[in-house]
Amino acid sequence: MTTIYLIDDHELFLSGVRSELSERFDVVGWSTDVDTATDEIRKARPDVVLVDVHMPGGGGLAVVRNVHATNPEIRFLALSVSDAPEDVIAMIRAGSRGYVTKSIDPASLADAVERVASGDAVFSPKLAGFVLDAFSETEPVEFDPELDRLTPREREVLRQIARGYAYKQVAARLSISVKTVETHVSAVLRKLQLSNRHELARWATERRIV
Amino acid sequence: MIAGLAGGIAARLGVSTVYVRAAFVALALAGGVGVLCYLIGWLVTPDQRQCGSLIVAEEPPTTTQRIGLALAFLAVLIALDAVGLWFGPVVWPTVLFLFGGALIWDRSSAESRERMARFARPSEGDQPRSRAQIFAGVTLMVVGVVVVLASLRSFQSLGPVAIAVLLTAAGFMLLFGPWVLGLFQDLSDERTARIRSEERAEMAAHLHDSVLQTLAMIQRTDDPQRMITLARAQERDLRAWLFEPDGGSNGGSVHEAVADAAAKIEATFDIPIEVVVVGDRALDDRLTPLVGAATEAMANAAKHSGATSISVYVECSDDSVDAWITDQGAGFDPDTVPPDRRGIAESIVARMVRSGGEATIVSEPGEGTEVHLRSETR
Repeated sequence: MTTIYLIDDHELFLSGVRSELSERFDVVGWSTDVDTATDEIRKARPDVVLVDVHMPGGGGLAVVRNVHATNPEIRFLALSVSDAPEDVIAMIRAGSRGYVTKSIDPASLADAVERVASGDAVFSPKLAGFVLDAFSETEPVEFDPELDRLTPREREVLRQIARGYAYKQVAARLSISVKTVETHVSAVLRKLQLSNRHELARWATERRIV
Repeated sequence: MIAGLAGGIAARLGVSTVYVRAAFVALALAGGVGVLCYLIGWLVTPDQRQCGSLIVAEEPPTTTQRIGLALAFLAVLIALDAVGLWFGPVVWPTVLFLFGGALIWDRSSAESRERMARFARPSEGDQPRSRAQIFAGVTLMVVGVVVVLASLRSFQSLGPVAIAVLLTAAGFMLLFGPWVLGLFQDLSDERTARIRSEERAEMAAHLHDSVLQTLAMIQRTDDPQRMITLARAQERDLRAWLFEPDGGSNGGSVHEAVADAAAKIEATFDIPIEVVVVGDRALDDRLTPLVGAATEAMANAAKHSGATSISVYVECSDDSVDAWITDQGAGFDPDTVPPDRRGIAESIVARMVRSGGEATIVSEPGEGTEVHLRSETR
């Protein structure tokens, strides 16, 4: 069974998510502050960590960065009330493999955890829209053309996700396999994390996450 | 002020109370006639509480009537002068001063009058003017006036007059100096405080109009779906207000118009709508119909699809704007839509065609519905 760890400073939300996910996953721990979380995650080594973005003491960003530096095999799924672009991009670039908003329904959240656990990326429609916006075709290519540009196929996959289709439906609509959809999304995630594109760099600088 | 006589007469004549008071004071100077008039008037005038609104003039006097009243009053003063009920030359300047002041008071706006009245009274937080100070001021003024009267009667040299004027002025300073200084201080304090409190007031007003109302509504509803819809609508609203630089009211863009429409449909039909917009551009003659058609498509999905949510995706590129409205509900066979259902044919397809765009509807029973709207902008 996939092991998960939860971090959220809102106790009520934390207990809600815990009860929703405890049937499908082995919840190995939870905490409400950054320092405890960092220590416990390093000890428990869960498969997936669900992390809130806005928390006192550096927020989810600090946890992701701390743990990612020492334990890159632990995967993160950011879960937040905010869908502001700078929050999304900060979490992704720090090493999260997905970003979902807290309004997500329980079944979709469980699916997202499974997907992150298996090494894929999870893009909500909002995140897909944001990536399309940041990687718009008209922006000049700056450093690495391979990283700064989306392929037409990746763009098409993101559009389908932004239109509200699940990976399986995207695959059927584009006549490709689900595995191929996952490959495209993971490639986009990598570009998002590594690209030096102007907008991404600017957000990163503003948020001191470079 | 004392028995309400001036106020009563003012109400009857339809002029400002302050003129009537000034008239009484002027008459009092004219050999004490005013005090006598006031006492008599007090005795013969019925109590307002018994008369109610009967004594109120039906309409304010015209300018001619005002001048008539003023002339009549002047005639009374001259008559009193003639019979010798008079305190000498000091009366005329006093009359002018009183009516000048009355005029200023009457012409100043209600707001500034209120402020003057407020500052004239020491408020709770202020250092109260001490009794000794007030006593000293009043004494100086009384002495000043007495000396003026004495000197005028005996027509002596100007020396005592100057002393009297100085004494009176000093009394004024003692009485009103702190108030004048405080007035300026308070004005600047008030200005900074107002700027600060305006921001807080705006925040409070917004929270009151939106968040508190929604919380109240959520507490009053038993339907979980309704609660979710209310919470989502409120979340969207608050997010726009907090995170969008102009408080989410730039109105004229495609993004804003679609988000507004989605929020309305969401609230009306109790169904969550996920809106994703890539790029943005100002609304124009071609894009307004696109937003209208998109709104209609959202409403159709909300009414007929039975889906648990609706997705709206809008992409603005340099030469076109595309919108997809997707639901994963019941779907329908586009060929069997009854002709009386005008929504799709008229409000979506025809509207797009009229504005030079196009609409494509893909749907199958059980497979959900996707409406694609496209408008070339070049």
